[in-house]
Amino acid sequence: MLDILSEKFQSIFSKIREKGKISESDIKQSLREIKLALLEADVHYKVVKDFIVKLEEKVNQEVLSKTLTPGQQIIKITHGILTEILGEKQIKININEKIPTTILLIGLQGSGKTTTAVKLALTLKNNGHIPLLVAADRIRPAAIEQLSILGGEAGIDVFTGNINKSAIDTILEAEQWAKKYKYNVTIIDSAGRLHIDQELIQELKKIKNSIQVHETLLVLDALMGQDALRVANDFNNEVGVDGFILTKLDGDARGGVALSLRSRTNLPIKFAGVGEKITDLEPFYPDRISSRILGMGDTLTLIEKIEASYARNELQNMGGKVFREQFNLNDFYEQLKKIKKMGSLENIFNLMPFQFSSSLKNIKQDFGDEEKGLKRVEAIICSMTKQERLDPDIINGSRRRRIARGSGTTVNEVNRLLNQFFKMKKFLKQRTGLDSLVPFMRK
Amino acid sequence: MLASLKTGLKKTRDSLIDKYDMLFTDAVKDKNLFLEKIEELLILSDIGPRTTEEILTRFQAINIHQYKMNDFNYFKKYLKQILIELIPATDDAFIINPEILNIVMVVGVNGTGKTSFAGKLAYYFKDGALDTLLVPADTFRAGAIEQLTYLAKQIDVEVMRTSAGSEPASVVFDSIHSAKAKKKKLLIIDTAGRLHTYSNLMKELEKVKRVIKKNAPEAALNIILVIDATTGQNGLAQAISFKESLNISSITLTKLDGTSKGGIVFTIQKDLLIPVSFLTYGEKITDLCRYDTEKFIEILLN
Repeated sequence: MLDILSEKFQSIFSKIREKGKISESDIKQSLREIKLALLEADVHYKVVKDFIVKLEEKVNQEVLSKTLTPGQQIIKITHGILTEILGEKQIKININEKIPTTILLIGLQGSGKTTTAVKLALTLKNNGHIPLLVAADRIRPAAIEQLSILGGEAGIDVFTGNINKSAIDTILEAEQWAKKYKYNVTIIDSAGRLHIDQELIQELKKIKNSIQVHETLLVLDALMGQDALRVANDFNNEVGVDGFILTKLDGDARGGVALSLRSRTNLPIKFAGVGEKITDLEPFYPDRISSRILGMGDTLTLIEKIEASYARNELQNMGGKVFREQFNLNDFYEQLKKIKKMGSLENIFNLMPFQFSSSLKNIKQDFGDEEKGLKRVEAIICSMTKQERLDPDIINGSRRRRIARGSGTTVNEVNRLLNQFFKMKKFLKQRTGLDSLVPFMRK
Repeated sequence: MLASLKTGLKKTRDSLIDKYDMLFTDAVKDKNLFLEKIEELLILSDIGPRTTEEILTRFQAINIHQYKMNDFNYFKKYLKQILIELIPATDDAFIINPEILNIVMVVGVNGTGKTSFAGKLAYYFKDGALDTLLVPADTFRAGAIEQLTYLAKQIDVEVMRTSAGSEPASVVFDSIHSAKAKKKKLLIIDTAGRLHTYSNLMKELEKVKRVIKKNAPEAALNIILVIDATTGQNGLAQAISFKESLNISSITLTKLDGTSKGGIVFTIQKDLLIPVSFLTYGEKITDLCRYDTEKFIEILLN
């Protein structure tokens, strides 16, 4: 796995760093890689174009610093611009302590409004507010039930009203209700709608005209592609939006939509949905997403660690095709040892681009506690014959039993190790899978 | 069917049609500008940067200067042709055999429209007189069972009684035996949305599949991954994971009534050889049609 990662870096700057001085075509190549990475992360096409122009300017100005290698410097500049656009501080929701606040959640179908409404209410409740949820989705079957059930789980009151009444009537009644019973935040869960559905957009306008909405938050799904920006702009132009909530960030989507939103709308992203539980809502931290967008994890730190453990030609070797196709148990063991040398496995996982971390975590799960786990892996591999290590396909049932006996482990453990190995081998071989995971891995 | 898809799409695309022709008229004078325009068109459809490069490389091969400015129809056709050629031939996307029990398992990440699709599919086969049982195996999301039950009532299709929180595999087990007893011909199983990165949730689906294989080995099984048109490059990762876990039989592309085009599904077809079975394009129960490559490419490019 590490070799794939290093190939990524290699393609960006291994050539560059050998020279110490960067040539124009090297810069071009790096810029192209970064452009691809941004597009793979679903950053909007136009935003990417502007970004690259800006990056090119900065690279041309700054690249001569002596402390870092040129490649590292380009990455650093990229991060710098990303952070600048994304903003550094985290922006909170506006809640006036004196008057009741009304928050309206809007968005496309399936973006996660209902779940988010409950998560937001719970967050506010935990901060000492008294929230009321309003079930104003009168279109999707069972949306009202969903909100009631989730609200119940979270211990938050839900105003459903008469289910035959329109969304607007329900909201008006809920406002009265909230006033009467002294709730200080009302959160309205509206029906999912297309940004181009004039009829339903009118409904939102009508809602905003008939009651005072303090915050209109657009719920957008982080898995979205190029259209996200248009959706955001259309909603903002038609209805007026005060900020965004980005959902489904617990997956492996790179979240480029965050960059598009920040650079083209000037509105803040206030929260991030990070899981299926009602507690899985976090404030949005811009700095955390910038590494994620590039698919790089905490690259700079990781580069340093890799440099400390690997010789350069070793890395180049591993990026090659031959290595990938002939990957055997010896290599597998070497990789594990190297990673170990770089620090605790947990730490390395956290530094890795997260696409990799999930597959690596499986290894950790299977081998358990890292010190002992690695020793057991070592014992298993050392109990194999030379031929078995080079050609693990020959390891049949009886060989597995022998290896287990020889290493003082169980056949089960041997199986698990071999499974992990074959998985990794398959992963290495699969160009398609690899390409999709490693945006930088282009020659 | 095609007509209704077209009207569904038309309302959103009117403004874009001219743009498309303009792009070729203006750009044909300058090859770089021309290629950049095509790049933009393709990237904005969510086809992805790598597939876009592949298409552009093919485009490089032609000499645009030898054509007159009003030859843009030629380029349009050419681009369409390239896209069609890039879609590999695959097995049948959707197999249904009215003689035996057919099982459709609907899977996907959260919020792509699985439940609505399950309802639409049941309605689609209603005319074919396939006695159908809808199975709400999404016992996790609050209200999901109710949602499917409403839909089933609306189209007058029988729905399996399920209670929230029960084990999906056991719901499926019961429904298979119920379907067999009632001599049903089509069983549509709606599963809970899940991000493909949660291995425990993927294992849950694998278990459901095992239960189906074990209890209805004779049935024709279609496992359909639902991807919605707004999905960006993550769609590929979704397809890879669901393919690895379940060996899905096809993809259904939903929400084509918006302004998104679902280009990632093109790349999925090309790279992973997974066929597409259905397209959906609206909130009405009838807003569903079979996939057709030409139609899909028309959507992508318009």
